[in-house]
Amino acid sequence: MSRQEDWREVGGVDALDAAIPRASHGLPWLQRLRTRAALGLTPVVAPAVLFVPIGTALGPSFINVLSPTVLSHLDAVVAVALAVLGVFAGLALDLRSQRNRRLFTAASVEAIVTLLLVSAALFVLLAAWRLPMGLSHGLVALTLGLCASVSSAGGADDASPTHAVAAGIADLDDVLPIVVSGLLVVMLGSASPVPVWSSVAWLFRTIALGIAIGTAGWLLFERAHSRAERNVFIAGTVALIGGTASFLDLSPLLAGLMAGLLWVWLPGHADRVVGIDLQRVQHPLIVVLLLVAGASCEFSRQALWLSGPLVLFRLTGKLMGGWLATRGQVPVTASQLGLHLIAPGLLGIAVALHLLQVVRTPGMTAVLTAVVIATLASEALALVLRPSEEPPA
Amino acid sequence: MSRLLALAIIVATTAVVTHASAATGRGGGPGTALAIGFALIAASLTGELFERFRLPRISGYLLFGVVCGPFVGAILTPAMARELQIVNGVAIALIAFIAGLEINVVRLRPQLRAMMTMGGVMLALMWVSLSLLFFLAWPWLPILPDVDGLARAALSTLVATVTVSFSPTVSIAVITESRARGPLSELVLALVVLADLMLILLFTLSMEGVRFALGSSQAGHGILSGLAWEIFGSFAFGGIVGACFAFYLRYVGREVTVMLLGVAILLSQVGGALHFEPLLAALAAGLVVENIAPPEGDALRLAVERGALPVLVLFFAAAGANLHIGALADVGVFAVAIVTVRMVLIYGSAKAGARVAGLAGEAPSLAWMGLVSQAGVTLGLAILINTEFPDWGGNLYALIVAMITLHEIVGPILFRSALTRAREVGRMDLVESPERRAADAEAPA
Repeated sequence: MSRQEDWREVGGVDALDAAIPRASHGLPWLQRLRTRAALGLTPVVAPAVLFVPIGTALGPSFINVLSPTVLSHLDAVVAVALAVLGVFAGLALDLRSQRNRRLFTAASVEAIVTLLLVSAALFVLLAAWRLPMGLSHGLVALTLGLCASVSSAGGADDASPTHAVAAGIADLDDVLPIVVSGLLVVMLGSASPVPVWSSVAWLFRTIALGIAIGTAGWLLFERAHSRAERNVFIAGTVALIGGTASFLDLSPLLAGLMAGLLWVWLPGHADRVVGIDLQRVQHPLIVVLLLVAGASCEFSRQALWLSGPLVLFRLTGKLMGGWLATRGQVPVTASQLGLHLIAPGLLGIAVALHLLQVVRTPGMTAVLTAVVIATLASEALALVLRPSEEPPA
Repeated sequence: MSRLLALAIIVATTAVVTHASAATGRGGGPGTALAIGFALIAASLTGELFERFRLPRISGYLLFGVVCGPFVGAILTPAMARELQIVNGVAIALIAFIAGLEINVVRLRPQLRAMMTMGGVMLALMWVSLSLLFFLAWPWLPILPDVDGLARAALSTLVATVTVSFSPTVSIAVITESRARGPLSELVLALVVLADLMLILLFTLSMEGVRFALGSSQAGHGILSGLAWEIFGSFAFGGIVGACFAFYLRYVGREVTVMLLGVAILLSQVGGALHFEPLLAALAAGLVVENIAPPEGDALRLAVERGALPVLVLFFAAAGANLHIGALADVGVFAVAIVTVRMVLIYGSAKAGARVAGLAGEAPSLAWMGLVSQAGVTLGLAILINTEFPDWGGNLYALIVAMITLHEIVGPILFRSALTRAREVGRMDLVESPERRAADAEAPA
């Protein structure tokens, strides 16, 4: 493939975007016309902000183009999209360098702090308000905490050192929530309360599943006879990870994470080829995931009551988590790191949507809706609470 | 060895997962994703194994479907096998679009008239012979043995029409996956496309005859307008979509694989909803792109290479998984007899057609081997008959399914063998090799 075709397929400089002058040349409103941004392909406009409202408008609550029947057919795509997100999280988890290990520690600290703070605060609030959720308040609070703990460092044009660290932390702070969501899926999916040891056993099954399919993929990717064949193997492996995990009511995110991690650690270039190929297919998958999430929302009283505190507790958690993360020898300004991590990205929505697929109850629908509203509000907050300008690294 | 190990891991994991799940009949989203993932990997590997034995890959995909499908190995549940067919519409549209891209009218023009003559003679001979044979053998056929007179004649022509039908999809798929190019590929392509057009006409007329003979209330309703809409509307719709796609390729040209799949979805779903023939519409779209606004550079060819393989794998794996092997046991003897007669007729009429058309050489003498396959089109016709005449249509459906099973096994192997004998396998790549080499040289390591 020539370089020209490569950027046409994979992304990168866009011919139309290149024709539009950059913001520094004046005419800042023209930036909104940049096609990659409009398609949600760069963090200039977060994909969730664009596609979730479209999904809501198309969903059963409004014009019903995405009817419940259509949504059930799209479950297959959502399962694969979840597996792809898990694989990306796994591919980012390359801990062979000292810097990455430090970043991973910082990211885990930040995620744990946010998770605990949001879960605890919402648990207290839920108990005080006695909101009828149809689910254990503890599980609802934990779910919301999980969805709040992920982040995506926005500001693609920001070249400051703090932003570089924040981007690394944002890539790695998905890992812990994905692992915990693997447990939560089992606990929520069972009709009767599940003992912790049983949940842990199911967690190991998810891990084994990811490793088994990941190993099969690794045996295939680098020995493919052509690019087309390799594409088939990669697509098949990811679909199989998503499909088998969802079929057993396990977490495709966790299974994908394990497969991605395996490809990083095993010899060869599996991680690189998978990363390049999945970059190509992730856009449509993510768009479908966000449309389905938007269409699955129902704006109930519970959802509206939960979303406000969720935004505030998440903001507090991120600022505290960011501050604590800088204690772990991460060379950035403590007060600035949290501000870089306010944008939540789409993993929180993905986790909530998957849990809704496992437990289709009004309570879980309210949780997804609250997460969606909080995500959109947090994206808006991220634009308002911008970190102060730093010189480029 | 590593591929076999990978295949073993995939098959074992899927078998354990599908059998471990309490809800064995479970389909829906997760079941679909599982089936697609499993089919993509395992069928690809089976196809590759077949290629090592000089057999067509698509026979491998089919065999994978049969072995792992619900009627034999039961690794895939019936619900999963059904849901694998989700790609059928897209696959047919994509395969026909690729066929359109391969038809260069300027290159074919000198041969076009002779090809049309050969196809016309062939179809006429086959249809008349089969109609007569079915009329004579009607009392012994397990369809509706008691009818006589006009009804028997009308039914014989209808069954003959369905039996004559070829599979453009399988023929084109064998050409695509063999990367074949040459006189035989072009002749078979022209013949199956012509047959598909004629078949729509013949089937509409035969159904009308049966309706009239059996006294159906639906007789005579908008037959000409329906035909015109289906044939000319399909070409017009496909032409417009093709022109838009050509415009996109020329002036935007990014995310071509995704756009190509989007075009296939548009042609199959929107075209289907408007009662167009997806195969004709997609063929017209491909023709327009190739002949009126050919794309510059390699973007489309690369997109076709990327997009076609997974779609072909899934399409034929689904076809295999949904082959009712049981139908062979019920009406296998009749099916074998009809398949044998049909093959003899294809061979004889192809020779006669080539002689009348004045075509000589290796391609016309091997062309019959590319026309044996039957698949989706034939099945679709049987379903239409079964829907309108449920009291006897079911018997015909079982017979057709058994015939398709045999044809799907034999047809691709025969055609691949013919392409090999004509030395056309892999020539698509040879023609493009200088450009391809230049592109590969530029590709990042």
